Amino acid sequence: MQAQIMEKGYADALVIGGGIAGLQAALDIADQGYKVVIVEREASIGGRMISLSKVFPTMDCASCITTPKMSAAAHHENIEIMTFTEIDSIVAGADGHVVSVTRKPTYVNAEKCIGCRLCEYACDSELPDVFEQGLGATRAISVAFTNAIPQKAVLLADYCLSCGLCLRACPTDAIEFDQRPRQERITAGSVIVATGFQLNSLTVKPQYAAAQNANVISPLTLERLLAPHGPYGRVLRPSDGKIPDSVAFVLCAGSRDQTIGVPYCSRVCCMYSIKQAMLLAGSLPMADITIYYMDIRAFGKGYEQFYQMAKAMGIHFVRGKVARVDAAPHDDLLVHVEMTEEPVDCVRRQKHDLVVLSQGMIPQWNPAGVSPVHIGEDGFVATPDTADPCATNVPGIFVAGAAAGPKDIVDTIADAGAAAMLAGRYLADRAGKSRTPPSAAGRSIRLEMAV
Amino acid sequence: MDATDQSYAENRGAEPAGQPRVGVYICRCGGNISDVVDAEHAAEICWHIPGVVVSKVHTFMCSDPGQQSIIDDIHGEKLDRIVVASCSPFLHELTFRGAAIRGNLNPYLYEHVNIREQCSWVHKHDPQGATAKAIALIGAAVGKVRQSRPLEKIRLNNRRRALVVGGGPAGMKAAADLAGTGLPVLLVERTGRLGGKLVSPQSLFPTGIGSTQILEKLESDVRSTGRVEVLLESEISRVKGFIGNFDVTIRGPLGPSGALTDVDVSVGVIVMATGFQPYVPHDGEFLFNRHPGVITTVDFQEALACAPEGKRLVVNGREIRRAAFIHCVGSRQIEGVHEPGPDGRLNKHCSRVCCTTVLNQAIQVRRRFADTRVYDIYQDIRAYGRGHERYYSEASRAGVIFLRYHGDERPLVSAAEDQSVHVSFKDYLSWGETIDLDVDLLVLAVGMTPGPCGRIVDQLKLPRGEDGFLQEIHPKLRPVEISVNGVLLAGTAQAPMNLQESLAAAGAAAVKARAMLVKEQVELNPYVARVNTQRCEGSGECIGQCEYDGALTMVEESPGVRRARVNPGLCIGCGACVAVCPNSAIDINGWRVEQYDAMVDGLVLQNQPA
Repeated sequence: MQAQIMEKGYADALVIGGGIAGLQAALDIADQGYKVVIVEREASIGGRMISLSKVFPTMDCASCITTPKMSAAAHHENIEIMTFTEIDSIVAGADGHVVSVTRKPTYVNAEKCIGCRLCEYACDSELPDVFEQGLGATRAISVAFTNAIPQKAVLLADYCLSCGLCLRACPTDAIEFDQRPRQERITAGSVIVATGFQLNSLTVKPQYAAAQNANVISPLTLERLLAPHGPYGRVLRPSDGKIPDSVAFVLCAGSRDQTIGVPYCSRVCCMYSIKQAMLLAGSLPMADITIYYMDIRAFGKGYEQFYQMAKAMGIHFVRGKVARVDAAPHDDLLVHVEMTEEPVDCVRRQKHDLVVLSQGMIPQWNPAGVSPVHIGEDGFVATPDTADPCATNVPGIFVAGAAAGPKDIVDTIADAGAAAMLAGRYLADRAGKSRTPPSAAGRSIRLEMAV
Repeated sequence: MDATDQSYAENRGAEPAGQPRVGVYICRCGGNISDVVDAEHAAEICWHIPGVVVSKVHTFMCSDPGQQSIIDDIHGEKLDRIVVASCSPFLHELTFRGAAIRGNLNPYLYEHVNIREQCSWVHKHDPQGATAKAIALIGAAVGKVRQSRPLEKIRLNNRRRALVVGGGPAGMKAAADLAGTGLPVLLVERTGRLGGKLVSPQSLFPTGIGSTQILEKLESDVRSTGRVEVLLESEISRVKGFIGNFDVTIRGPLGPSGALTDVDVSVGVIVMATGFQPYVPHDGEFLFNRHPGVITTVDFQEALACAPEGKRLVVNGREIRRAAFIHCVGSRQIEGVHEPGPDGRLNKHCSRVCCTTVLNQAIQVRRRFADTRVYDIYQDIRAYGRGHERYYSEASRAGVIFLRYHGDERPLVSAAEDQSVHVSFKDYLSWGETIDLDVDLLVLAVGMTPGPCGRIVDQLKLPRGEDGFLQEIHPKLRPVEISVNGVLLAGTAQAPMNLQESLAAAGAAAVKARAMLVKEQVELNPYVARVNTQRCEGSGECIGQCEYDGALTMVEESPGVRRARVNPGLCIGCGACVAVCPNSAIDINGWRVEQYDAMVDGLVLQNQPA
């Protein structure tokens, strides 16, 4: 039975995605005096960035940069945040874009939940912690992570044993087993698509044998291992907890490769690999660290200098395309690489005890069937206007960050500002043309935090 | 307005009654701090500091639960002073001031202690020492905050108009964006027309669209609102003031037409879109200026645009059978390998746009002139952007021959007998073999170097980075702002960027400018000098010390009674005046002498051996 759709009123801008691009765009629009709603699929805002260790080229801890923006958005008088919410459709309406969303049940009453985590401590059902890339465990009911916003518990029904332990532990009677998905509708003057990216599968190249070897890992896993508040508090390799002493980074392991449908460059892998190598060199001073690359693309402000610093630190840069990764005794790995800088016919087999594959960036969201926004042949949101790099084919819908192609954090933040500016211009233009009062004049909505 | 008696009296009146109740919050920073500093021990010790009634540790103080615990304690424990010991105040001072405001506490009754950069990071190998230092610094902050008085931000009228300096694509975009939201904009351009480097016709990557087309769109965007006043052949000759209140003198016309005149304007924000300069090779660098067959990518752009169609490319009347590009000329320079420029600086940076520029030009040559061979001598092909990699594969398909050199082994270029140019280098795509090439045309892929930016840089003391480009406050937190409040960076004045990136950066600058201009008033921190009019006898010593034009003046209040008066917009709170006043009649809000005394006491007390 289809539940009734609740009309939530008008917002000047609706931002899809609460990662760094969405947060920055929302803040920049809200600072112009417009009302903004952020719609986030996950239980917390913060996106990918909040799970990273440190970020290049300044080596700030990612949390230190992300939390202030998360917090600023959460406390901004012009911003409302809807977490655990999916976009169902975006259609043109008389007053703007009509956005239908589904608010997924968290089985926790957000108004009552005080984020004390007593339910989480009581819960008996454990599952791999997605935030920790599966390196640690979490419970079927939990707050997403330490600095999550909002600090509200979410219960994952698939893992719930219905034992009632949380119900008894909760001091505010916030657990509601009978919640159902709720459909809601918002009319938005403008929309910002800030849906970000995902990484293609670690096993997209079977010759790198990630499926068979636990010690062939994703760079996001290494981010968690390197984070000061990570799962182990130090770098241990997954198969046996050994401290690695020879680490290989295989660049372009999921991009610049026509055989896997990702012919483009993922733009960030060179730099984050160099950064991870430097962090590893700091925490494991005796370890050998090798980066196998085709071209080092250190193009941003201060990036080349960062690369040169890594070379001076003794990180090995080996130009060569890795052909294959094989298992070796003791859970080690043999990296087969064709060396192009050394004497003819040099194919080397190098032993490492941990291999990091630079997976490719692919789009997180496909607008097909949801919105008339076009995508390019690479699957990312198309930006047809060279003079307005954040404009999509639909007037009033703009795109920010990696939703329009791989981008690092610095470029994403600039992009988000540009998208926010376009939204501001669009809204000002509309207000000038019609006699529709801006939301500040009384049509604003107040959405409750979380669900 | 002035910040003398009135605010002084207000402050006194608002001072909380009884003994200050201080809450101390120590952040683990997820391990960044607590891996070295013993946060729990420090918190334990802090309980004994006079005035401290709450002492807590949290994994991330900046997170919502961290901030909430402060707010809860303001109410529950009746705190009226807060100290947070965490990272640099640069990152989070504003975060915790915000928390204080939400807890209904004056935000200037809050002190920030940096125990990460100043303790755990610098004393990694001395945890005990780092912990002792952290405790001492917290002790000083507690001492200071106990002496703090509530302060209010200084509010001044905002001149709601923007000045954009530079009429290239970034400047045009920023101007059009701001005007498009209804704000008046002044766009100042040194040359006789808008467009900057887009003026020379070229096909732009990654879409192949012509520069003229983009320029027309930007130009119509600038003109259509009627709110952008464009001043061509003009430059900024003088600028002073502060956010919301800049006084600018614009001089023009610079060309041969007419006499120079100065126009005075006042604006609220300034957007710096002064652009870059292409690197000019030294005389003789790769035979530049010494051989007609050696040119830069900038010259080649024009040559390509006007080259007659045919089997072979013709440049300057010379038929080109073989052309070669060398990448990274004037970029990625290495100490000991490259000569520094006239300013003694090496261009260590990557110029970001040259790789795809070369690929774009190389493809055009191969597509248009089937009998001209093209060699591309590179270090790394940095085709990073969306659609750029396609240029790389298309160049390969078009028969461009790629060769790879190492940055520390520069190709040797010499004049060959037959008017051609001889290039010799080790190629690392063929296992380090030495390659000797004779080419008719050698194109140097020149990088971007910092633009001159004009007098405004010195007059407003705008900082440049090590690379010479204007330096943003923080690449992620405040990427288009510079340390002078109210001045924003748009485009390649900040760093090398391609057109699209430059336009995006301009949009980001415009959105910040708009956020500043939508407010009726600007708010400034209250850390400025304050004159105690009861004590001031008008000695004038302070005026002589003040280095900031107009910040401190002597006012004749009644016949024979002269007193110092502060302009809070111009005062930066340096304290030079405080040191020289014979009557101790001047002080800095938030940094009063008693507060320094209390800090020293706090340091000494906490440094006693246990």
